[in-house]
Amino acid sequence: MFSQTLAVTMINLRSIPQRWALSLATIFSIALVVAVLLGFLAMANGFRATLSSTGSDDVAVMLRGGSQAELNSGLSRDDQRIVAEAPGIARDAAGEPIVSGELYVIVDGIKRSSRTEANLPLRGVGPLAATLRADYQIVEGRAFEPGSNELVVGQSVQREFSGFDLGQVIRLGTNEWVVVGVFSTGGSVFESEIWADIGTIQNLYQRGTAIQSIRARMTSADAIEGLEAFIENEPRLNLDVTNEAEYYADQAGGTSDLIMFLGWPLAIAMAIGALAGAWNTMYSSVDTRMKEIATLRAIGFAGSSAAIGTMVESMILAVIGGLVGAVAVFLIFDGISASTLGGGFTQVVFSFAVTADAIINGIVLALIIGFAGSIFPAIRAARIPLLAVHRA
Amino acid sequence: MTALYTLTDLSKKYTRGKETLTIFEELNMTIDQGDFISIMGPSGSGKTTLLNLLGGIDRPSSGAVDCEGVRVDKLSEGKLAKWRSAHVGFIFQFYNLMPMLSAAQNVELPLLLTSLSSKERKKRVETALDIVGILDRKGHRPAQLSGGQQQRVGIARAVVADPKVLLCDEPTGDLDRATADEVLETLQLLNRELNKTIVMVTHDPAAAGYASRQLHLDKGRFVEREAV
Amino acid sequence: MNDLTIIRKNLFRKKLRAILLTLSIMIAFLIYGALGAFYNVWTAGVDMAAANRLITVNRINFTVDMPIAYFSRIQSVEGIENVSHANWFGGYYQEPRNFIQTFAISPEAYLESYPELVIPPEQRADFIADRTCLLVGVDLAAQYGWEVGDRIPLNSNIWQQDDGTSDWDFNICALFDGDEEEIPANYAMFHYEYYNESLAFNRDRIGWMVVNTTDPDLNDQVARDIDALFANSSAETETTTEAAFSRAFLEQVGNIAMILLSVIGAAFATILMIVGTTMVMAINERTQEIAVMKTLGFPAPRIFRMVLSESILLSFVGGLLGLGLATLIVEGASSALAGFLPGLSMPMDVVLTAFGLMLGLGLLTGLGPALSAQRLSIIEAFNKH
Repeated sequence: MFSQTLAVTMINLRSIPQRWALSLATIFSIALVVAVLLGFLAMANGFRATLSSTGSDDVAVMLRGGSQAELNSGLSRDDQRIVAEAPGIARDAAGEPIVSGELYVIVDGIKRSSRTEANLPLRGVGPLAATLRADYQIVEGRAFEPGSNELVVGQSVQREFSGFDLGQVIRLGTNEWVVVGVFSTGGSVFESEIWADIGTIQNLYQRGTAIQSIRARMTSADAIEGLEAFIENEPRLNLDVTNEAEYYADQAGGTSDLIMFLGWPLAIAMAIGALAGAWNTMYSSVDTRMKEIATLRAIGFAGSSAAIGTMVESMILAVIGGLVGAVAVFLIFDGISASTLGGGFTQVVFSFAVTADAIINGIVLALIIGFAGSIFPAIRAARIPLLAVHRA
Repeated sequence: MTALYTLTDLSKKYTRGKETLTIFEELNMTIDQGDFISIMGPSGSGKTTLLNLLGGIDRPSSGAVDCEGVRVDKLSEGKLAKWRSAHVGFIFQFYNLMPMLSAAQNVELPLLLTSLSSKERKKRVETALDIVGILDRKGHRPAQLSGGQQQRVGIARAVVADPKVLLCDEPTGDLDRATADEVLETLQLLNRELNKTIVMVTHDPAAAGYASRQLHLDKGRFVEREAV
Repeated sequence: MNDLTIIRKNLFRKKLRAILLTLSIMIAFLIYGALGAFYNVWTAGVDMAAANRLITVNRINFTVDMPIAYFSRIQSVEGIENVSHANWFGGYYQEPRNFIQTFAISPEAYLESYPELVIPPEQRADFIADRTCLLVGVDLAAQYGWEVGDRIPLNSNIWQQDDGTSDWDFNICALFDGDEEEIPANYAMFHYEYYNESLAFNRDRIGWMVVNTTDPDLNDQVARDIDALFANSSAETETTTEAAFSRAFLEQVGNIAMILLSVIGAAFATILMIVGTTMVMAINERTQEIAVMKTLGFPAPRIFRMVLSESILLSFVGGLLGLGLATLIVEGASSALAGFLPGLSMPMDVVLTAFGLMLGLGLLTGLGPALSAQRLSIIEAFNKH
C-alpha cells in the first residue's frame, strides 16, 4: 500500500512541470497568505516583546489613585517622602531607600519614516532612576549633569526620530537642551524615552515640585503586598500600586491583541481565496493524469493510492508556499524597527519579531489550505473509471 | 454547367526547418455548381489541404483559388472570414460542436454573423434541423446525442446560412456503417434537392460512392473516375 | 442567443472551476471593500477637516497646555473669523474602562468653529445657557442609552475638584450629530467655566485653540502671526491646519495606509495569479473550438472581444459579490462599532475604485488569452488535434 502510494505520488510530482504556471500560482498565493499572517504576527509579537521585556517584578510603580497612566497622574514630594519609609523597600549601599520620583513632559520628535511630529516622553529623573532599570547603561557619551540642561536619549529614539545625535542642541518649547549621551535598557520601552534632570524639568516647564510617579525597588516581588498594605493604612496617601512588569504587560495587551484580531481574519479570508487556487490546480492535475491513473488502476493499484498521491502533491505545494512566505517575511520584516502610540500616549519603538511559533502557525495554515484544496480532487482521482484508459 | 471554383496552377509547400515539403504543385481543376465530389487518397496526399484551400482557411503557396470571380487566396483575413460565413459550410469528422451549447444553439452560431433578427434565426434553425431530421433533439447538448445525431447537427450548422458549397472532411469517419449511410443520404439530398455543391474528403469507398464525381488524389495529382 | 450567451456559457461550462474563481475574486474585493471603508473612517479627520480651520497648540507638544490669556490675545490677529478653545477632560463613566472622550470648551465659540455639528436650536440654546449641561454626540448617547434630560456623573482620570473628588455632575440637555455620516458624534463637550472653576490645580489653562480664518488663503499668514505673537513667551505656540494636525496624529499610530495597501496588494496579487493562469488554461483547452468558430467565419476581433469579455464578466461577478458582502458587513458593523469607529460605511470612492479594479483585473487576466485566441491559426489548431 505504501509503495503504491509512493509510486503514484512520484508520478504526480514528476508531472508538475506540465502545470508549472498553475503550480507556481498556487505556491505564490499560499506564500502571500502566510506572508500576510506572519507580517501581522511579527508586528504584534514585536510590540508585545518590547513591552513585556520592560519592568521588573520587584519594582513597584505608584500613581495617583484612579489615574491609570503615568501621564494622568500627579503626586507631590511629600508622597515620595512618606513612601520611602514604607517596609520592604530595598536600600542601597549608603543605606538610602531606592525610590525614584519621576515626571514626564510629552515633547515632539520628528519621526524619520513620515517626517511628522510624534509624541516622545521627556522624563525627569533623579540619581536613582538608572538603578531602578535593569540593564541600564550609557552606550555613547555620558550621563547628564544634575541641575543642567543636558539630556540623554534612548537608543530607540535615536533610531526612529531625527535630530537626537550626540552633541546636538535641541529646542523643546522655549528651552534648549544638549544631547550628551545615549542609553540602552536591553530593548525595553525605556529606550523610547528621553531623560533629563528632574529639577531642571520642573523648573523649565512650571511643574513646581510635582511628580507623576514613584518607583521603588522592593526587597522581593512579594514585598509589594506589604507596600500596598502600608499605603492603604496611611491616610495621607492616595496611591495605586502596581508591579512594574505587570504595568507594562497590561499596556501590551490592547495593541497587540488588536493587531492579532486584524491579522488572523485577513489571513483566513485570503486563505479561502488561495484555497480556490489550490483546488483548481489539483483538479487540473487529476484531469491531465486521468489516463495514467486509470492505467495504474487497471494493473491493480488501489483508488486510495491515487487519492493520497493527489493530497500529497497538494500539500507539498502548500508547504513550499508556506516556507517561501515565511522566509520572505523573515528576510524582509524580522528586526525592522517601527513605532506606534503606546499606552503612555507616547511613541513606543519596537522591532518586528518573526517567531518560531508564528512560523509554525503559518505553515499549519498553509497545510490546511493544501489539504482542504485537495480533498475533492483526491476523491475524483480515486473514482476515475478504469475505462479512462482508452481515452484520447 | 457553370463553374463554381476554378483552381489554377495551385501549389502548396510547407517548410519545416530546412526541408521543403511539397503537398501539390501546378494543380488545376474546376468544380461546377451542383457537383458532389468525393476525394479519396492515401494519408498525406493533400486531400485536407485542398479542402482547406477551397474553404479559405489556408492559403496556397502560389496559384489562384477563384470562386465565382472572387480570388479567395487574395482576400484579407477579415474579408475571408466574412466570405466563409456567407459562402461555405464546413462539416467535420469529429463534428466540432460547442459542448456547452444546445443543438439549436450550435446551429444558430453561423447566423450570429448575419443581420437576421432572432425570430428569423429561430425559424431558419428549425428548418435546418428539420431537413437533417433532428428537430426533436434541438434542446439537447452534444454530450446527450449519439455520433450520428451530432453529425446531423453539424450538417444543419453547415447549411443554416444557406451557403453554396459544403466542404466535408471525413464526415462519416467516426460513424458506423448504418449511421454513415444515413448521413451520406442526407448529404445527397442536400445536393440533389437544394443544389448544394459538395466536396467531401473520405477514406471510405462506400462513402465516395454517394458522390457524382469521384477523384483520387495521389502525390498531389488527380486520377479522375466518373461515378457509375 | 447572442455573443453574451456564448460568453456566459463558456465561463460556467466547468461550474466548480467558475465558482472557485468567483470565490477567490470575491474575497479579494471583500478585503478591499472592508479595509477601504475602515481606512475612510480612519482618515475622516483629515478628509473632513475644514479648509479654513487651524489648530493652535503648545509648541512643546499638543498635550502641553497654555494660559487662558492666549485666548483673548489671539483675537487681535488679522484674518481670524472665530476662535475657540478646548481642554482634554479624560472622562469615564462609572468604570475607568467606560472611557468617554470629553472636552471642556468655550461653548458658543466652539460650536461656531465647527458648523458641521448639528444641534436642534432649542437644545443649542439650552447648552449655551446651562453651565452644567453635557452636550453629547448621538452615537455616544446611543451607546449608553442616554437621553436629553438624563443626569449623569462623569469622572476624570486626570483632574480633581478642589474638594478632592474627581466626579463632575452633568445634565444632558443637548445632543449633536454631524451633517455628514463621516463626521464623528461619539464624544461629549461641556462648559470650560464649569470645569475650570472647580479644579483643584492647573486652573486657567487651556489645551488648544481652534481658529477659523476668514479665507483659507490666509491660513499661512494667520498661523505665522499667531506663533509670532507668543514667540519667546513661556508657552510658545505651533499653529497648523486642522488637516495637517489630524494627519500627523494618525502618523503617530503608524503607517496604516502602507499596511492596508500591502494586504490589499497581496490579496490582488493572489487572484491575479490564480485567475490569470486559470484563464490561460481555460482558453488553451478551447483551442479547437476557437478554431471552429473562426472557420465558421467569426472574425478574429470578435473572438478577441468574446474571450476578453469572459474574464471581465468573471471579474465583475466575483467583484460585485465581494463588494456587496463588504458593504453588508460594513453596514452591519457600523452600529456595533459606532463608539470606536463612528460613521463606518461604504464610501463612494471605494466603490468606484472597486469598479476600476474589476475592469483592470478582467483586462489583465483576459488580455493574454484573448490575444492568443485572436492570433490562433485555424490550420495549426486543427493539425494539433
